[in-house]
Amino acid sequence: MIPGKIIRFLEQYANVAFAGTRDRDLVPYGHRVCGWSVGADQRTMTAFIPEEFRPKLIESLQENGELAVTVEEFPSHETYQFKGRYIRDRDVLHDDVEIVDRIRRRFVRSLRPLMAHAPEEALNAFVAKPSLAVEFEVLEIYLQTPGPGAGSRLIPPIEK
Amino acid sequence: MRLTHLPPEIRPVLENGIPAVMVTCSADGTPNTTVISQVYYVDETHAALSFQFFSKTIRNVRENPRAYVCLADLRGHASWVLQLEFQRSETEGPVFDTMDMQIEAIASMTGMSGIFKLRAADIYRVLSVEKLPYPTWTGASSDDQASTGA
Repeated sequence: MIPGKIIRFLEQYANVAFAGTRDRDLVPYGHRVCGWSVGADQRTMTAFIPEEFRPKLIESLQENGELAVTVEEFPSHETYQFKGRYIRDRDVLHDDVEIVDRIRRRFVRSLRPLMAHAPEEALNAFVAKPSLAVEFEVLEIYLQTPGPGAGSRLIPPIEK
Repeated sequence: MRLTHLPPEIRPVLENGIPAVMVTCSADGTPNTTVISQVYYVDETHAALSFQFFSKTIRNVRENPRAYVCLADLRGHASWVLQLEFQRSETEGPVFDTMDMQIEAIASMTGMSGIFKLRAADIYRVLSVEKLPYPTWTGASSDDQASTGA
């Protein structure tokens, strides 16, 4: 189950994400994620993928189901990685699009102080419009915030 | 267009200070996605990645040398996708020294001094390079109808 603290991070603070898959030959592929949501059961997440990052995604997921999604808050660098198994993919719904728009506004707001002269459309375009929703079951969560604890598994907790 | 070398126009992207994303895969088939602060141009067919604390990535590329890197090119309105193959790790020499200085500069700019610390420069062979232009920005998505998926 995804802890409440991490759900709040995902829903209120995180502003950038990326997904990783691999094919049958163990060649890794990346897919920009323009938005995300947590299932009501707190065990699943949905990642929204823009059109240009769809190649290799569904064929890899249908072949082996392995998915890793890293979600970060920039510029604080608080970061978590969610590893899990593909459940299904579906068309993007209107509510999904609104989630992506909220995340885009968060991202642009966070980047603006560092890129004061960047054109608004360039920053907005970084968080592309979603083309596909991928639902997956979260099996493991890792802390990836830079520092000594980076890489430690949070869920399921490591038994002492 | 897919290239097999690093073109000159990618060099400013490597130096733009925007973190890149790296995907690797363990020998048992589990992908791993991580943010990396620096991709360093070695020559047309080699790049170096900073080895700081992402130990799962370090383990993965030693088990399975293939790696995927995505760079953000906000000025060029594009993502750059690199397919790489791990070759060796360097803990001294000109590549290591230059990366060490750059890491320190990035750390001080982002308030991460004392946390970012270069442990090694990992050298990768470039297998392919692809530029993916961002779609033209036409306003917030929710102004449009939701797009269709698969």
